[in-house]
Amino acid sequence: MAEEKNDVDKLVEMLSKVFVNIKIKDIMTSPPIVVTEETKLKYVKDIMRIKKISGMPVITRNQNLSGIISIEDIIKVYDSGSFNDRAVNWMTKNPVFLNEDDTLMSFLEANEKLNYGRYPVINRNKKVVGVVTKLDILEWMFKKLGYIYVHDQRREETLNKRFTSLLTGEQYEETRIDFRYDIDYESVEMVGIAATKLKKFLLSKYIKNDVVRKVSIATYEAEANIVIHSGSKGVLYCLINNDHVKVFLEDYGKGIENLDKAMKEGFSTATEKIREKGFGAGMGLPNMKRFSDRMTLISSPNKGVKVEMLFYI
Amino acid sequence: MTFENVTKLLLAKTLFFPENFKDTEIEFAGASDLMSDFLAFSKENMLLITGLTSPQTITTAAVVGATGIIFVRGKEIPDNVVEVAQDLEIPVIVTDLSMYIACSVLYNNGIKDAMGTDRMIDKNG
Repeated sequence: MAEEKNDVDKLVEMLSKVFVNIKIKDIMTSPPIVVTEETKLKYVKDIMRIKKISGMPVITRNQNLSGIISIEDIIKVYDSGSFNDRAVNWMTKNPVFLNEDDTLMSFLEANEKLNYGRYPVINRNKKVVGVVTKLDILEWMFKKLGYIYVHDQRREETLNKRFTSLLTGEQYEETRIDFRYDIDYESVEMVGIAATKLKKFLLSKYIKNDVVRKVSIATYEAEANIVIHSGSKGVLYCLINNDHVKVFLEDYGKGIENLDKAMKEGFSTATEKIREKGFGAGMGLPNMKRFSDRMTLISSPNKGVKVEMLFYI
Repeated sequence: MTFENVTKLLLAKTLFFPENFKDTEIEFAGASDLMSDFLAFSKENMLLITGLTSPQTITTAAVVGATGIIFVRGKEIPDNVVEVAQDLEIPVIVTDLSMYIACSVLYNNGIKDAMGTDRMIDKNG
C-alpha cells in the first residue's frame, strides 16, 4: 500500500523540478560532522546530542566512507551493546551516498526509493566532503527564491545564532560576547593591535597576569595568521566565564591547505617579505597550541579558518 | 640591574622611558629578529634585544610582558614605532653596538638568558 507522502516531501519534489541541474556540492553541509571507525559509541552519542543531529557518516582514517551511524543504531546499543564499542561495529555498512558533482536529480531519485534522512557526499577522490539532508535542500531553495522560510523552533536557534562553540556546540548570544575586535587591516606592521587591546581588556577584568599573558601570546599568533595568510578580514571574540577565558578568531580567507604540515614547528608558507618583518618562522599554530589549554581549528581551502582557544583561569 | 645601568653599559640612547620603570630590576634578556621566538620562548619582565625595528616588535613585547626593548646596530627608529611604544608603555632604547656584542656585554654583567632553550650547555662554564 503506497504511503501518503507528507507535505515536506511533496514540497521538495515540486520545487526540485525547477532546480534539477543544481549540483549537490552547492547544497550540502560542508565540512560534515563525521566520526571515524574507531570512535567509541559514547562519543558518537555525545556528538549527536551536542550537535543536535540524528546521524552521521563514519569514515576510515583516509577519510573514505565506511558507513553511517544513526540514532536507531544507538538505541540498539542500549539494548544489547556497550558504549565502549566502536562505531564500526554498529554502523550501517555500504550506505547510499552521493557524489558532489551529482545533481539534485540524483538526490530526488535516491529519496524517492529510499527516503533516508541523510546522504553522505563524496568527492572524486572518494573522500567524504559533506552531508545532504532534505532540510538542506529546502533551506537552499528558499534562500534562492528569496523567501524567509518558516522554520520550526528547533532550527530557530541555529539560524539566529551569532556564534557556536566548535569545542562544545554551545551557542552564544551577541550580548554574551565580552570583547570583540575587527581585524580589518592588511599591513603586517599592524599585527598586535587586537592582541594588545584584548590584553588591556582582560587586565581590566582582573584576570590573573599569567593567564592574560598566555591569552595575549596565543591571540597575537592567531592575529598574525589572519593578517599574513588569510588575505581577508577577520574578527576576534572573547568570552570570560567562571573558570575559563575563551577566544575565537575567524577569517573568511583562503584557509589552510595542509593542517598537519601547518602544525609542525618550522613549517611556513610565508613570503620573503613577511619574513623580513620578523614573521614566518613556522611557529604560529604550534605556539597557539602551546599557550592555550585547549585549541580547536577548523579550516578547508577557500573557506577561511575558525580557531577556538580555551584558557583555564 | 636597572634600566639606567643597561643604557650606560650599552652606550645606548633612550627613545622612550616611562617613569614607573625607573626602579624595575632587570634579570633576564633574550635576542632574536624573529618575533615568534619571543612569543614561544620568553619570560615575563625580560629585555628584548632585536634588530627588527617595526611596530610589531613593540606589540610582541607587550603581549609577552617584557620590561623593555633594546634596538641594536644603531638603527633609525621610525616614528610610528615610538608612538606604539608610548601607547603600550614599553621602554625603548637604541644602541650602536651589534646584537652579538650587546648580548655579551649584558651577559658578562650578570643578565641571564630568558629563552630557556640552551639547557644542553652549562651556562655557568
